[in-house]
Amino acid sequence: MAPEKERPRYWPWLPAAFALAGVIVFIFATFGPPASSSGFVSTLKGALQPLAPAYVAGKDHYVMMPDQGSWLFAFVLGMAIGGFIAGRTSQLPIEDVPPIWQKRFGPGRWKRFAATFAGGFMILFAARLAGGCTLGLFISGSTQLAVSGLYFGVVIFAFAMLTARLVYKTSAGGQK
Amino acid sequence: MNSEIWLGLLAGTAFGFVIQRVGASSAQKMARAHLMLEGDIPRFMLMAVILSAIGLFGLQLGGVDNTRVLPTSLVATGVAGILFGIGWGFCGYCPGTTWAAVGEGRLDAVFALLGGLAGAAVFSHFHETLIPLLYGPTNIGQVSLGGWLGSQLAGLVLLVALFGLCIWLIGRLWGRRDDA
Repeated sequence: MAPEKERPRYWPWLPAAFALAGVIVFIFATFGPPASSSGFVSTLKGALQPLAPAYVAGKDHYVMMPDQGSWLFAFVLGMAIGGFIAGRTSQLPIEDVPPIWQKRFGPGRWKRFAATFAGGFMILFAARLAGGCTLGLFISGSTQLAVSGLYFGVVIFAFAMLTARLVYKTSAGGQK
Repeated sequence: MNSEIWLGLLAGTAFGFVIQRVGASSAQKMARAHLMLEGDIPRFMLMAVILSAIGLFGLQLGGVDNTRVLPTSLVATGVAGILFGIGWGFCGYCPGTTWAAVGEGRLDAVFALLGGLAGAAVFSHFHETLIPLLYGPTNIGQVSLGGWLGSQLAGLVLLVALFGLCIWLIGRLWGRRDDA
């Protein structure tokens, strides 16, 4: 399709894995197991505490999690900053509706936004039930050789792959 | 502000930068990974785990041990994995990549983030009902490969072998990388 030389390139997976592992080991050295779904709870706790202090104090899930003045919240905020800097300093494509989605469901933005809202709802509800997400349970857990992380990892990959097949109704090959 | 906040901010910024550059914050790349069209993201994730596990083993040898193994609940971890997998396959974001993608300026990720806050709020509201119902009864504790095999090193070797095999298989079975 497009000429090879003009294309912005993603980092190759192997050096990128070394870079990410460096960050993860740094986190284990200076904090503990990294997590990101916990950052959602910290965000909520920070937002709700001034509005409904009694409610927050009476709910175990908020009691067990720190509010926004914590590593967990600083980490997810940092991820947004890192994404911003990386996005601004590269030519990699940034789209509101992914092309593969447009091909299947059309370019409608609100349909896509409704879908990601629903998807976001599911992954956070599920991550809080499991006690972690792709990072907090699968990556952190597997790094610590935890069976919970390995078990969660197998299930999430299997069901994500199955779901993607159903959503995009495609077999591999030809799909752009 | 205490040092914990600065450490978190620094680590998060580096983490977000790396996952953006490898394409993990792109729902397009994630969907193509799930559809077995390109294997870069899953190989990146698995290799990062292998290297992190080796690094963590080194830290532990050096006496730094900030680990916290989460328990395995056969029902809760499994059911949550199914729901999470469906949501991940459907929207192409996971909780961490959502933040990086919002920082990049992807509007669909803003809605994933809002949905995520709603999902976390609903779970938090029903925590007292759901945890005893789904998590407690089949909780087999903080089990790990190291514990099972009686040696942290043996567990590490097994993990590296398993993940190495997966990386090799993804390289064979997934399609070729295409940056479009």
